[in-house]
Amino acid sequence: MASERRAVTLEIVRNVAQLSRLSLPEAELSRWTEQLGRIVSYIDQIEAIPEDAGGDETPDGVPPTPVREDEPRPGYGPEALEGNAPRRFQGFGVVPRVVGGGE
Amino acid sequence: MSAGGPVRTIASEVAARRRSAAEVAAESLERIEKANPDLNAFLEVSKEKALEEAREVDRRVAAGERLPLAGVPLAVKDNMWVAGRKASCASRILDGFSPPGDATAVARLRRAGAVFVGKTNLDEFAMGSSTENSAFGPSRNPWDLRRIPGGSSGGSAAAVAARLVPGALGSDTGGSIRQPGACSGVVGFKPSYGRVSRWGLVAFGSSLDQIGPLTRDVSDAARIYSVMAGADPLDSTCVSLPAGDPEGALERGIDGMRIGFLSEGQGEGLDPRVAENLDACRRAFERAGGRVTSVSVPRATAAIAIYYVVASAEASSNLARYDGVRYGARRSEASVASLYVDTRTKGFGAEVKRRILLGTFALSSGYYDAYYGRAMRARRILARDFDRAFAAADVIVCPSIPAPAFRLGEKVDDPLQMYLSDIFTVPASLAGLPAISIPSGLTADGLPLGLQIMAPRFGEETLFAAAFAFEREIGFPSDAPPAARPLAT
Repeated sequence: MASERRAVTLEIVRNVAQLSRLSLPEAELSRWTEQLGRIVSYIDQIEAIPEDAGGDETPDGVPPTPVREDEPRPGYGPEALEGNAPRRFQGFGVVPRVVGGGE
Repeated sequence: MSAGGPVRTIASEVAARRRSAAEVAAESLERIEKANPDLNAFLEVSKEKALEEAREVDRRVAAGERLPLAGVPLAVKDNMWVAGRKASCASRILDGFSPPGDATAVARLRRAGAVFVGKTNLDEFAMGSSTENSAFGPSRNPWDLRRIPGGSSGGSAAAVAARLVPGALGSDTGGSIRQPGACSGVVGFKPSYGRVSRWGLVAFGSSLDQIGPLTRDVSDAARIYSVMAGADPLDSTCVSLPAGDPEGALERGIDGMRIGFLSEGQGEGLDPRVAENLDACRRAFERAGGRVTSVSVPRATAAIAIYYVVASAEASSNLARYDGVRYGARRSEASVASLYVDTRTKGFGAEVKRRILLGTFALSSGYYDAYYGRAMRARRILARDFDRAFAAADVIVCPSIPAPAFRLGEKVDDPLQMYLSDIFTVPASLAGLPAISIPSGLTADGLPLGLQIMAPRFGEETLFAAAFAFEREIGFPSDAPPAARPLAT
Protein backbone atom coordinates (compact mmCIF):
# COMPACT_ATOMS: atom_id res chain seq x y z
CA MET A 1 0.00 0.00 0.00
CA ALA A 2 1.43 3.39 -0.95
CA SER A 3 2.46 5.66 1.91
CA GLU A 4 0.70 8.92 2.46
CA ARG A 5 0.68 11.86 4.83
CA ARG A 6 -2.54 13.12 6.28
CA ALA A 7 -3.77 14.68 9.47
CA VAL A 8 -3.90 12.47 12.54
CA THR A 9 -7.57 11.72 13.23
CA LEU A 10 -9.49 10.06 16.05
CA GLU A 11 -9.92 7.03 13.82
CA ILE A 12 -6.18 6.72 13.17
CA VAL A 13 -5.41 6.98 16.90
CA ARG A 14 -8.05 4.33 17.71
CA ASN A 15 -6.53 2.00 15.12
CA VAL A 16 -2.94 2.59 16.24
CA ALA A 17 -3.93 2.03 19.89
CA GLN A 18 -5.48 -1.30 18.95
CA LEU A 19 -2.33 -2.33 17.08
CA SER A 20 -0.30 -1.29 20.15
CA ARG A 21 -2.44 -3.36 22.55
CA LEU A 22 -3.36 -0.22 24.46
CA SER A 23 -6.78 0.94 25.56
CA LEU A 24 -7.39 4.70 25.38
CA PRO A 25 -10.59 5.91 27.06
CA GLU A 26 -12.93 7.68 24.61
CA ALA A 27 -12.90 10.76 26.86
CA GLU A 28 -9.12 11.08 26.40
CA LEU A 29 -9.02 10.34 22.69
CA SER A 30 -9.26 13.98 21.58
CA ARG A 31 -6.30 14.96 23.75
CA TRP A 32 -4.18 12.07 22.44
CA THR A 33 -5.15 12.96 18.87
CA GLU A 34 -4.26 16.62 19.35
CA GLN A 35 -0.86 15.81 20.94
CA LEU A 36 0.09 13.19 18.36
CA GLY A 37 -1.11 15.48 15.58
CA ARG A 38 1.20 18.26 16.75
CA ILE A 39 4.16 15.88 16.96
CA VAL A 40 3.46 14.39 13.53
CA SER A 41 3.12 17.89 12.02
CA TYR A 42 6.55 18.73 13.44
CA ILE A 43 7.97 15.48 12.07
CA ASP A 44 6.62 16.33 8.61
CA GLN A 45 9.62 18.67 8.16
CA ILE A 46 11.64 15.63 7.06
CA GLU A 47 9.71 15.89 3.80
CA ALA A 48 11.88 18.92 3.01
CA ILE A 49 15.00 16.73 2.82
CA PRO A 50 15.24 15.94 -0.89
CA GLU A 51 15.00 12.26 -1.75
CA ASP A 52 17.89 12.64 -4.20
CA ALA A 53 20.20 13.80 -1.39
CA GLY A 54 21.29 10.17 -1.02
CA GLY A 55 21.00 8.17 2.18
CA ASP A 56 20.66 4.72 0.65
CA GLU A 57 24.34 3.83 0.94
CA THR A 58 26.07 2.03 3.81
CA PRO A 59 28.21 4.39 5.89
CA ASP A 60 32.01 4.13 5.58
CA GLY A 61 34.37 3.16 8.37
CA VAL A 62 32.01 0.90 10.32
CA PRO A 63 33.62 -2.46 11.06
CA PRO A 64 31.74 -5.59 10.04
CA THR A 65 29.46 -7.25 12.56
CA PRO A 66 31.55 -9.48 14.80
CA VAL A 67 30.47 -13.10 14.67
CA ARG A 68 31.02 -15.48 17.57
CA GLU A 69 31.56 -19.22 17.36
CA ASP A 70 28.31 -21.12 16.91
CA GLU A 71 28.75 -23.13 20.07
CA PRO A 72 26.60 -23.64 23.16
CA ARG A 73 27.34 -21.22 25.98
CA PRO A 74 26.32 -21.31 29.61
CA GLY A 75 23.04 -19.53 30.28
CA TYR A 76 21.23 -18.40 33.40
CA GLY A 77 19.32 -21.68 33.69
CA PRO A 78 15.57 -22.28 33.57
CA GLU A 79 14.97 -21.42 37.23
CA ALA A 80 16.32 -17.88 36.84
CA LEU A 81 14.06 -17.23 33.85
CA GLU A 82 10.97 -18.97 35.22
CA GLY A 83 11.38 -17.10 38.49
CA ASN A 84 10.13 -13.92 36.83
CA ALA A 85 6.95 -15.39 35.32
CA PRO A 86 3.82 -13.88 36.90
CA ARG A 87 2.24 -17.39 37.02
CA ARG A 88 3.94 -20.70 36.46
CA PHE A 89 3.16 -24.39 36.83
CA GLN A 90 5.60 -27.31 36.53
CA GLY A 91 8.14 -25.34 34.55
CA PHE A 92 5.64 -23.62 32.26
CA GLY A 93 4.33 -20.07 32.24
CA VAL A 94 0.56 -20.07 32.68
CA VAL A 95 -1.63 -17.84 30.51
CA PRO A 96 -5.42 -17.65 30.13
CA ARG A 97 -7.07 -20.17 27.86
CA VAL A 98 -6.15 -19.48 24.22
CA VAL A 99 -8.16 -22.06 22.26
CA GLY A 100 -11.75 -20.96 22.08
CA GLY A 101 -10.94 -17.54 23.49
CA GLY A 102 -11.96 -14.24 21.97
CA GLU A 103 -8.77 -13.88 19.93
CA MET B 1 47.80 5.59 37.74
CA SER B 2 47.68 9.30 38.55
CA ALA B 3 44.88 10.67 40.70
CA GLY B 4 42.37 13.08 39.16
CA GLY B 5 38.70 13.34 40.03
CA PRO B 6 37.13 11.47 42.93
CA VAL B 7 36.84 8.18 41.01
CA ARG B 8 40.55 8.05 40.26
CA THR B 9 41.47 9.38 43.70
CA ILE B 10 39.41 6.75 45.56
CA ALA B 11 40.79 4.00 43.32
CA SER B 12 44.36 5.11 44.05
CA GLU B 13 43.78 5.39 47.79
CA VAL B 14 42.04 2.03 48.11
CA ALA B 15 44.63 0.34 45.88
CA ALA B 16 47.38 1.77 48.09
CA ARG B 17 45.41 0.66 51.20
CA ARG B 18 45.31 4.20 52.58
CA ARG B 19 41.53 3.80 52.83
CA SER B 20 39.38 0.70 52.80
CA ALA B 21 36.66 0.13 50.24
CA ALA B 22 34.29 -0.62 53.12
CA GLU B 23 34.92 2.80 54.66
CA VAL B 24 34.40 4.56 51.31
CA ALA B 25 31.16 2.65 50.68
CA ALA B 26 29.86 3.43 54.17
CA GLU B 27 30.47 7.16 53.63
CA SER B 28 28.64 7.08 50.31
CA LEU B 29 25.71 5.16 51.80
CA GLU B 30 25.46 7.67 54.65
CA ARG B 31 25.31 10.58 52.23
CA ILE B 32 22.63 8.84 50.20
CA GLU B 33 20.56 8.19 53.30
CA LYS B 34 20.69 11.88 54.26
CA ALA B 35 20.12 13.43 50.83
CA ASN B 36 17.84 11.03 48.98
CA PRO B 37 14.59 12.14 50.64
CA ASP B 38 15.11 15.57 49.02
CA LEU B 39 16.56 14.42 45.71
CA ASN B 40 14.73 11.14 44.97
CA ALA B 41 17.82 10.19 42.99
CA PHE B 42 17.81 6.54 44.09
CA LEU B 43 15.00 4.03 43.61
CA GLU B 44 16.87 1.33 45.53
CA VAL B 45 19.82 1.49 47.92
CA SER B 46 21.61 -1.79 48.60
CA LYS B 47 23.40 -1.14 51.86
CA GLU B 48 24.25 -4.69 52.95
CA LYS B 49 25.12 -5.92 49.47
CA ALA B 50 27.29 -2.85 48.79
CA LEU B 51 29.18 -3.27 52.06
CA GLU B 52 29.74 -6.95 51.31
CA GLU B 53 31.00 -6.06 47.81
CA ALA B 54 33.33 -3.47 49.35
CA ARG B 55 34.73 -5.98 51.83
CA GLU B 56 35.38 -8.35 48.92
CA VAL B 57 37.28 -5.56 47.11
CA ASP B 58 39.38 -5.05 50.24
CA ARG B 59 40.18 -8.78 50.23
CA ARG B 60 41.17 -8.65 46.54
CA VAL B 61 43.39 -5.61 47.10
CA ALA B 62 45.02 -7.31 50.07
CA ALA B 63 45.66 -10.34 47.85
CA GLY B 64 47.60 -8.12 45.46
CA GLU B 65 45.06 -7.60 42.65
CA ARG B 66 45.50 -4.37 40.70
CA LEU B 67 42.02 -2.87 40.30
CA PRO B 68 41.51 0.32 38.27
CA LEU B 69 38.27 1.08 40.15
CA ALA B 70 39.24 -0.32 43.55
CA GLY B 71 36.46 0.48 46.00
CA VAL B 72 34.79 3.14 43.85
CA PRO B 73 31.09 3.40 44.80
CA LEU B 74 28.96 3.64 41.69
CA ALA B 75 25.25 4.13 41.12
CA VAL B 76 23.54 2.43 38.19
CA LYS B 77 20.52 3.71 36.29
CA ASP B 78 17.62 1.38 36.95
CA ASN B 79 17.33 0.21 33.35
CA MET B 80 20.50 -1.86 33.62
CA TRP B 81 20.94 -5.27 35.16
CA VAL B 82 22.83 -5.65 38.40
CA ALA B 83 22.54 -9.21 39.73
CA GLY B 84 20.34 -9.46 42.79
CA ARG B 85 18.94 -5.90 42.48
CA LYS B 86 15.77 -4.82 40.79
CA ALA B 87 15.57 -3.32 37.30
CA SER B 88 12.30 -1.42 37.25
CA CYS B 89 13.04 1.02 34.42
CA ALA B 90 10.94 3.34 36.66
CA SER B 91 7.88 1.53 35.33
CA ARG B 92 5.02 -0.24 37.09
CA ILE B 93 5.00 -2.83 34.32
CA LEU B 94 8.25 -4.35 35.65
CA ASP B 95 7.01 -4.67 39.24
CA GLY B 96 8.75 -7.67 40.78
CA PHE B 97 11.21 -8.25 37.93
CA SER B 98 14.60 -9.54 39.03
CA PRO B 99 17.40 -9.66 36.43
CA PRO B 100 19.15 -13.01 36.17
CA GLY B 101 22.67 -11.53 36.03
CA ASP B 102 24.87 -8.47 35.51
CA ALA B 103 24.88 -6.32 32.39
CA THR B 104 28.22 -6.76 30.59
CA ALA B 105 29.23 -3.18 31.49
CA VAL B 106 28.36 -3.79 35.14
CA ALA B 107 30.25 -7.11 35.19
CA ARG B 108 33.38 -5.40 33.82
CA LEU B 109 33.14 -2.60 36.40
CA ARG B 110 32.67 -5.19 39.14
CA ARG B 111 35.79 -7.07 38.01
CA ALA B 112 37.67 -3.73 38.12
CA GLY B 113 36.74 -3.23 41.78
CA ALA B 114 33.63 -1.03 41.63
CA VAL B 115 31.00 -1.27 44.38
CA PHE B 116 27.33 -0.87 43.47
CA VAL B 117 25.50 1.19 46.08
CA GLY B 118 22.13 1.52 44.39
CA LYS B 119 19.87 1.96 41.37
CA THR B 120 18.93 5.44 40.20
CA ASN B 121 15.73 7.06 39.05
CA LEU B 122 14.95 7.75 35.40
CA ASP B 123 12.15 8.63 33.05
CA GLU B 124 10.13 5.47 32.50
CA PHE B 125 12.08 3.23 30.08
CA ALA B 126 14.48 6.18 29.58
CA MET B 127 11.82 8.13 27.65
CA GLY B 128 12.04 11.74 28.72
CA SER B 129 14.26 14.69 29.51
CA SER B 130 13.35 15.49 33.12
CA THR B 131 12.75 12.26 35.14
CA GLU B 132 9.19 13.51 35.57
CA ASN B 133 8.05 10.44 33.64
CA SER B 134 9.23 8.11 36.43
CA ALA B 135 6.45 6.04 37.98
CA PHE B 136 8.15 6.73 41.33
CA GLY B 137 8.18 10.53 41.28
CA PRO B 138 10.70 12.94 39.80
CA SER B 139 14.29 13.45 40.89
CA ARG B 140 15.31 16.97 41.85
CA ASN B 141 18.25 19.11 40.82
CA PRO B 142 20.82 19.61 43.62
CA TRP B 143 21.47 23.14 42.35
CA ASP B 144 17.81 24.09 42.82
CA LEU B 145 15.38 21.55 44.23
CA ARG B 146 12.46 23.20 42.39
CA ARG B 147 14.01 22.23 39.07
CA ILE B 148 14.52 19.08 37.03
CA PRO B 149 17.95 17.39 37.03
CA GLY B 150 17.48 16.58 33.33
CA GLY B 151 16.70 13.16 31.97
CA SER B 152 16.39 10.47 31.37
CA SER B 153 19.45 9.62 33.54
CA GLY B 154 18.40 12.33 36.00
CA GLY B 155 18.82 10.22 39.13
CA SER B 156 22.40 9.35 38.17
CA ALA B 157 23.20 13.00 37.38
CA ALA B 158 21.68 14.26 40.65
CA ALA B 159 23.52 11.59 42.66
CA VAL B 160 26.90 12.59 41.21
CA ALA B 161 26.21 16.33 41.40
CA ALA B 162 25.22 16.08 45.08
CA ARG B 163 28.40 14.12 45.85
CA LEU B 164 26.48 11.01 46.91
CA VAL B 165 28.63 8.88 44.61
CA PRO B 166 31.75 9.80 42.63
CA GLY B 167 30.34 8.27 39.44
CA ALA B 168 27.24 6.70 37.98
CA LEU B 169 26.11 4.89 34.87
CA GLY B 170 23.53 6.37 32.55
CA SER B 171 22.16 5.31 29.20
CA ASP B 172 21.87 7.66 26.25
CA THR B 173 19.46 7.19 23.34
CA GLY B 174 19.03 10.83 22.24
CA GLY B 175 20.90 12.73 24.95
CA SER B 176 19.91 11.00 28.19
CA ILE B 177 23.43 11.15 29.64
CA ARG B 178 24.59 14.49 28.23
CA GLN B 179 21.44 16.55 28.85
CA PRO B 180 21.14 15.65 32.57
CA GLY B 181 24.91 16.04 32.88
CA ALA B 182 24.56 19.62 31.65
CA CYS B 183 21.46 20.40 33.73
CA SER B 184 23.13 19.09 36.90
CA GLY B 185 26.66 20.43 36.41
CA VAL B 186 28.48 17.12 35.89
CA VAL B 187 30.30 15.44 33.01
CA GLY B 188 28.17 13.09 30.89
CA PHE B 189 29.77 10.94 28.21
CA LYS B 190 28.07 8.92 25.47
CA PRO B 191 30.50 6.60 23.66
CA SER B 192 30.31 5.88 19.93
CA TYR B 193 27.49 3.48 19.11
CA GLY B 194 29.10 0.03 19.33
CA ARG B 195 31.80 0.82 21.88
CA VAL B 196 30.04 -0.47 25.01
CA SER B 197 27.97 -3.64 25.11
CA ARG B 198 24.22 -3.19 25.46
CA TRP B 199 23.78 -6.64 27.00
CA GLY B 200 21.75 -6.14 30.17
CA LEU B 201 20.62 -2.64 29.20
CA VAL B 202 16.84 -2.76 28.81
CA ALA B 203 16.24 -1.84 25.16
CA PHE B 204 14.56 1.42 24.14
CA GLY B 205 15.97 2.35 20.71
CA SER B 206 18.36 -0.45 19.84
CA SER B 207 20.18 1.37 17.04
CA LEU B 208 20.83 4.35 19.34
CA ASP B 209 21.18 3.14 22.96
CA GLN B 210 24.62 3.38 24.59
CA ILE B 211 25.77 3.09 28.20
CA GLY B 212 28.10 5.78 29.51
CA PRO B 213 29.39 7.40 32.70
CA LEU B 214 28.35 10.53 34.62
CA THR B 215 31.22 11.87 36.71
CA ARG B 216 32.55 15.01 38.33
CA ASP B 217 35.35 15.40 35.79
CA VAL B 218 36.57 14.25 32.39
CA SER B 219 39.40 12.07 33.69
CA ASP B 220 36.97 9.99 35.76
CA ALA B 221 34.71 9.50 32.74
CA ALA B 222 37.74 8.25 30.77
CA ARG B 223 38.59 5.76 33.54
CA ILE B 224 35.08 4.27 33.75
CA TYR B 225 34.71 4.18 29.97
CA SER B 226 38.08 2.42 29.53
CA VAL B 227 36.92 -0.38 31.82
CA MET B 228 33.52 -0.84 30.11
CA ALA B 229 34.49 -0.58 26.43
CA GLY B 230 35.25 -3.48 24.11
CA ALA B 231 33.72 -6.31 22.13
CA ASP B 232 31.22 -8.63 23.78
CA PRO B 233 30.01 -11.94 22.32
CA LEU B 234 26.60 -11.19 23.86
CA ASP B 235 26.07 -8.04 21.73
CA SER B 236 26.79 -8.30 18.01
CA THR B 237 26.48 -4.52 17.59
CA CYS B 238 29.46 -4.07 19.91
CA VAL B 239 32.50 -3.62 17.67
CA SER B 240 35.81 -5.44 17.94
CA LEU B 241 37.94 -2.31 17.55
CA PRO B 242 40.45 -1.74 20.36
CA ALA B 243 39.23 0.94 22.80
CA GLY B 244 42.56 2.76 22.61
CA ASP B 245 43.91 4.74 25.55
CA PRO B 246 41.43 7.47 26.51
CA GLU B 247 43.21 8.22 29.78
CA GLY B 248 46.54 8.51 28.02
CA ALA B 249 44.95 10.94 25.57
CA LEU B 250 43.90 13.38 28.31
CA GLU B 251 47.20 15.23 28.46
CA ARG B 252 47.76 15.41 24.70
CA GLY B 253 46.59 19.00 24.55
CA ILE B 254 44.82 20.66 21.67
CA ASP B 255 47.56 22.76 20.07
CA GLY B 256 46.42 23.30 16.51
CA MET B 257 43.34 21.12 16.91
CA ARG B 258 40.49 22.39 14.73
CA ILE B 259 37.54 23.16 17.00
CA GLY B 260 34.42 23.55 14.83
CA PHE B 261 31.57 25.49 16.42
CA LEU B 262 28.29 24.23 14.99
CA SER B 263 26.54 26.96 12.97
CA GLU B 264 23.07 25.45 13.25
CA GLY B 265 21.06 26.48 16.30
CA GLN B 266 23.22 29.48 17.18
CA GLY B 267 20.86 32.17 15.93
CA GLU B 268 17.67 33.66 17.25
CA GLY B 269 15.88 31.54 19.78
CA LEU B 270 19.02 30.52 21.66
CA ASP B 271 18.71 31.46 25.32
CA PRO B 272 20.91 34.58 25.81
CA ARG B 273 22.57 32.98 28.86
CA VAL B 274 23.58 30.00 26.71
CA ALA B 275 24.79 32.29 23.90
CA GLU B 276 26.92 34.29 26.34
CA ASN B 277 28.36 31.11 27.80
CA LEU B 278 29.17 29.84 24.32
CA ASP B 279 31.34 32.92 23.74
CA ALA B 280 33.23 32.14 26.95
CA CYS B 281 33.71 28.56 25.71
CA ARG B 282 35.09 29.83 22.40
CA ARG B 283 37.65 31.94 24.26
CA ALA B 284 38.59 28.99 26.48
CA PHE B 285 39.38 26.83 23.45
CA GLU B 286 41.48 29.64 21.97
CA ARG B 287 43.44 30.03 25.21
CA ALA B 288 44.07 26.27 25.26
CA GLY B 289 45.64 26.46 21.77
CA GLY B 290 42.73 25.27 19.64
CA ARG B 291 42.04 26.71 16.17
CA VAL B 292 38.43 27.81 16.48
CA THR B 293 36.38 27.65 13.32
CA SER B 294 32.76 27.35 12.26
CA VAL B 295 31.19 24.27 10.68
CA SER B 296 27.79 23.42 9.29
CA VAL B 297 25.77 20.21 9.62
CA PRO B 298 22.74 21.28 7.59
CA ARG B 299 20.40 18.43 8.54
CA ALA B 300 21.07 18.87 12.29
CA THR B 301 18.00 21.10 12.39
CA ALA B 302 15.85 18.14 11.34
CA ALA B 303 17.38 15.77 13.89
CA ILE B 304 14.54 15.90 16.43
CA ALA B 305 12.02 15.07 13.69
CA ILE B 306 14.13 12.15 12.43
CA TYR B 307 14.81 10.93 15.96
CA TYR B 308 11.20 10.81 17.08
CA VAL B 309 10.32 8.57 14.15
CA VAL B 310 13.31 6.22 14.46
CA ALA B 311 13.47 5.98 18.25
CA SER B 312 9.70 5.68 18.67
CA ALA B 313 9.50 2.99 15.98
CA GLU B 314 12.21 0.98 17.72
CA ALA B 315 10.56 1.56 21.10
CA SER B 316 7.18 0.35 19.89
CA SER B 317 8.83 -2.85 18.72
CA ASN B 318 11.07 -3.34 21.78
CA LEU B 319 8.26 -2.70 24.25
CA ALA B 320 5.92 -5.21 22.60
CA ARG B 321 7.51 -7.83 24.89
CA TYR B 322 5.80 -6.34 27.97
CA ASP B 323 2.57 -8.28 27.88
CA GLY B 324 2.27 -9.80 31.34
CA VAL B 325 3.21 -13.31 30.21
CA ARG B 326 6.89 -13.80 31.02
CA TYR B 327 7.72 -11.16 33.64
CA GLY B 328 6.47 -8.07 35.42
CA ALA B 329 3.02 -7.27 36.67
CA ARG B 330 -0.04 -9.07 35.27
CA ARG B 331 -3.31 -7.13 35.37
CA SER B 332 -5.93 -9.43 33.94
CA GLU B 333 -6.62 -13.13 33.53
CA ALA B 334 -9.94 -12.95 31.67
CA SER B 335 -8.49 -13.74 28.23
CA VAL B 336 -5.17 -13.50 26.45
CA ALA B 337 -6.32 -10.34 24.66
CA SER B 338 -7.36 -8.61 27.88
CA LEU B 339 -4.17 -9.81 29.59
CA TYR B 340 -2.11 -7.98 26.98
CA VAL B 341 -4.23 -4.82 26.81
CA ASP B 342 -4.92 -4.42 30.53
CA THR B 343 -1.33 -5.17 31.53
CA ARG B 344 0.06 -2.64 29.08
CA THR B 345 -2.60 0.03 29.63
CA LYS B 346 -2.21 -0.06 33.43
CA GLY B 347 1.52 -0.74 33.42
CA PHE B 348 2.82 1.99 31.10
CA GLY B 349 2.79 5.72 31.85
CA ALA B 350 1.58 8.41 29.45
CA GLU B 351 4.89 9.21 27.76
CA VAL B 352 5.70 5.57 27.06
CA LYS B 353 2.23 5.12 25.57
CA ARG B 354 2.74 8.24 23.45
CA ARG B 355 6.01 6.87 22.01
CA ILE B 356 4.50 3.44 21.38
CA LEU B 357 1.56 5.05 19.55
CA LEU B 358 3.85 7.29 17.53
CA GLY B 359 6.16 4.42 16.63
CA THR B 360 3.32 2.10 15.72
CA PHE B 361 1.86 4.87 13.54
CA ALA B 362 5.21 5.39 11.75
CA LEU B 363 5.55 1.65 11.09
CA SER B 364 1.95 0.98 10.13
CA SER B 365 0.71 0.04 6.70
CA GLY B 366 0.16 3.14 4.61
CA TYR B 367 2.58 5.32 6.61
CA TYR B 368 5.78 3.26 6.75
CA ASP B 369 7.49 4.76 3.69
CA ALA B 370 6.40 8.32 4.41
CA TYR B 371 7.68 8.25 7.98
CA TYR B 372 10.01 5.38 8.92
CA GLY B 373 11.56 4.86 5.48
CA ARG B 374 12.06 8.55 4.94
CA ALA B 375 13.46 9.12 8.44
CA MET B 376 16.00 6.31 7.98
CA ARG B 377 17.21 7.85 4.73
CA ALA B 378 17.38 11.29 6.38
CA ARG B 379 19.38 9.75 9.23
CA ARG B 380 22.01 8.49 6.80
CA ILE B 381 22.11 11.89 5.06
CA LEU B 382 22.67 13.54 8.45
CA ALA B 383 25.56 11.13 9.15
CA ARG B 384 27.07 12.11 5.79
CA ASP B 385 26.70 15.80 6.71
CA PHE B 386 28.79 15.05 9.80
CA ASP B 387 31.43 13.26 7.67
CA ARG B 388 31.76 16.40 5.56
CA ALA B 389 31.94 18.66 8.63
CA PHE B 390 34.68 16.50 10.16
CA ALA B 391 36.78 17.09 7.06
CA ALA B 392 37.00 20.71 8.25
CA ALA B 393 37.18 20.18 12.02
CA ASP B 394 38.67 17.61 14.38
CA VAL B 395 35.84 18.04 16.87
CA ILE B 396 32.48 19.80 16.64
CA VAL B 397 31.11 21.73 19.60
CA CYS B 398 27.78 23.27 20.55
CA PRO B 399 25.79 23.87 23.73
CA SER B 400 24.56 20.69 25.41
CA ILE B 401 21.22 22.23 26.36
CA PRO B 402 19.26 25.09 24.79
CA ALA B 403 18.45 26.58 28.23
CA PRO B 404 19.26 25.84 31.88
CA ALA B 405 17.22 23.27 33.82
CA PHE B 406 13.55 24.19 33.84
CA ARG B 407 11.14 24.02 36.75
CA LEU B 408 9.38 20.79 37.65
CA GLY B 409 6.01 20.67 35.90
CA GLU B 410 6.86 23.41 33.41
CA LYS B 411 6.71 21.22 30.29
CA VAL B 412 4.76 18.14 31.31
CA ASP B 413 1.70 19.14 29.28
CA ASP B 414 3.65 19.99 26.14
CA PRO B 415 5.50 16.88 24.90
CA LEU B 416 6.88 18.60 21.81
CA GLN B 417 8.54 21.33 23.89
CA MET B 418 9.98 18.61 26.13
CA TYR B 419 11.39 16.81 23.09
CA LEU B 420 13.11 20.01 21.95
CA SER B 421 15.21 19.96 25.16
CA ASP B 422 17.39 17.44 23.32
CA ILE B 423 17.86 19.50 20.17
CA PHE B 424 21.65 19.65 20.54
CA THR B 425 22.23 16.08 21.69
CA VAL B 426 20.12 14.09 19.23
CA PRO B 427 22.28 14.69 16.10
CA ALA B 428 25.30 12.80 17.53
CA SER B 429 23.01 9.95 18.60
CA LEU B 430 21.60 9.53 15.10
CA ALA B 431 25.11 9.53 13.59
CA GLY B 432 26.52 7.14 16.23
CA LEU B 433 29.19 9.64 17.31
CA PRO B 434 30.95 9.87 20.66
CA ALA B 435 29.87 13.02 22.50
CA ILE B 436 30.52 14.49 25.91
CA SER B 437 28.92 17.27 27.94
CA ILE B 438 31.22 19.24 30.22
CA PRO B 439 30.06 21.79 32.80
CA SER B 440 30.79 25.18 31.22
CA GLY B 441 29.57 27.72 33.74
CA LEU B 442 26.78 28.89 36.00
CA THR B 443 24.07 31.39 35.16
CA ALA B 444 23.67 34.48 37.34
CA ASP B 445 21.08 32.58 39.38
CA GLY B 446 23.39 29.62 39.91
CA LEU B 447 22.18 27.10 37.33
CA PRO B 448 24.71 24.95 35.46
CA LEU B 449 25.27 25.06 31.71
CA GLY B 450 27.13 22.53 29.60
CA LEU B 451 29.19 22.40 26.43
CA GLN B 452 28.97 19.39 24.14
CA ILE B 453 31.97 18.12 22.17
CA MET B 454 31.45 15.57 19.38
CA ALA B 455 34.13 13.60 17.52
CA PRO B 456 34.09 11.27 14.50
CA ARG B 457 32.77 7.79 15.24
CA PHE B 458 35.31 5.80 17.29
CA GLY B 459 37.35 9.01 17.82
CA GLU B 460 37.14 8.82 21.62
CA GLU B 461 40.83 9.64 22.16
CA THR B 462 40.52 12.93 20.26
CA LEU B 463 37.31 13.66 22.14
CA PHE B 464 38.91 13.14 25.56
CA ALA B 465 41.95 15.26 24.64
CA ALA B 466 39.67 18.15 23.65
CA ALA B 467 37.36 17.69 26.63
CA PHE B 468 40.19 17.60 29.17
CA ALA B 469 41.85 20.73 27.75
CA PHE B 470 38.52 22.57 27.71
CA GLU B 471 37.64 21.52 31.25
CA ARG B 472 40.94 22.79 32.60
CA GLU B 473 40.55 26.12 30.84
CA ILE B 474 36.88 26.86 31.56
CA GLY B 475 37.31 26.41 35.32
CA PHE B 476 33.83 25.31 36.42
CA PRO B 477 33.42 26.08 40.16
CA SER B 478 34.41 23.18 42.38
CA ASP B 479 31.96 24.18 45.12
CA ALA B 480 29.30 21.61 45.87
CA PRO B 481 25.77 22.54 44.76
CA PRO B 482 23.47 23.92 47.48
CA ALA B 483 21.71 20.61 48.20
CA ALA B 484 25.07 18.91 48.78
CA ARG B 485 26.63 21.56 51.03
CA PRO B 486 25.16 20.30 54.31
CA LEU B 487 26.76 16.92 53.46
CA ALA B 488 30.22 18.30 52.74
CA THR B 489 32.92 16.76 54.85
